[in-house]
Amino acid sequence: MANTVIGSTIVIDGEITGDEDLVVQGTVKGRVGLRQNIYVEESGVVEANVETATITILGTVTGDVVATERAELKSNCRVVGDIHAPRVLIADGASFKGNVDMDG
Amino acid sequence: MANTNSRATAPSSDACVIGPETAVRGALSGQEDLVIEGRVEGSVSLAGHLIVAETGEVEADLDIESIAVLGHVRGDIVASRSITIERGARVSGNVRAPRVIINDGAHFDGAVEMEVDLPDDLRKAAR
Repeated sequence: MANTVIGSTIVIDGEITGDEDLVVQGTVKGRVGLRQNIYVEESGVVEANVETATITILGTVTGDVVATERAELKSNCRVVGDIHAPRVLIADGASFKGNVDMDG
Repeated sequence: MANTNSRATAPSSDACVIGPETAVRGALSGQEDLVIEGRVEGSVSLAGHLIVAETGEVEADLDIESIAVLGHVRGDIVASRSITIERGARVSGNVRAPRVIINDGAHFDGAVEMEVDLPDDLRKAAR
């Protein structure tokens, strides 16, 4: 399946848009707009406003997240920003500061 | 589906890839190999090998270790090792590297700059 992987030493400062899954192991700053799924792995750092269908965060995200389906904050992740999604899951051990909005 | 205790996640290999349905606009930098199957605009600075796949479209200045182009590149390329332009590729821009290889069937429009070790007397004549 089509897939984009931002490796652990990669830094992108700008904008990522697309229609396939995105795996972030490195650093992304700016803006991310996707119609599929984003996986921010343990080593991943996202300093960006994110629009996506689903996002799964194991690493660090600072910025506002708008997900049309689901936002999942896994254990040990660090997230600062507002989350807007119909389903928001925050696991035990996750660190999060911001507003959660689950209403349309 | 509930994949509670899973770490991530997607069906991924370890290679760093910009997939065919993804566009990146801005500055991209790193210290590993990268495959571009999608679109990249801006600049790429990479201590590693860059592959621009058949579907790849790059409109950027590239500063990398080595590169193989099978798709399209518009921009200047500076490589510390080598630049290979493969059959079917289209490159427009100036390229500079110790080794520049342009294969049969490739399209290139621009200037090539390699180290040319001329004898002293010729060097003066050839700028």
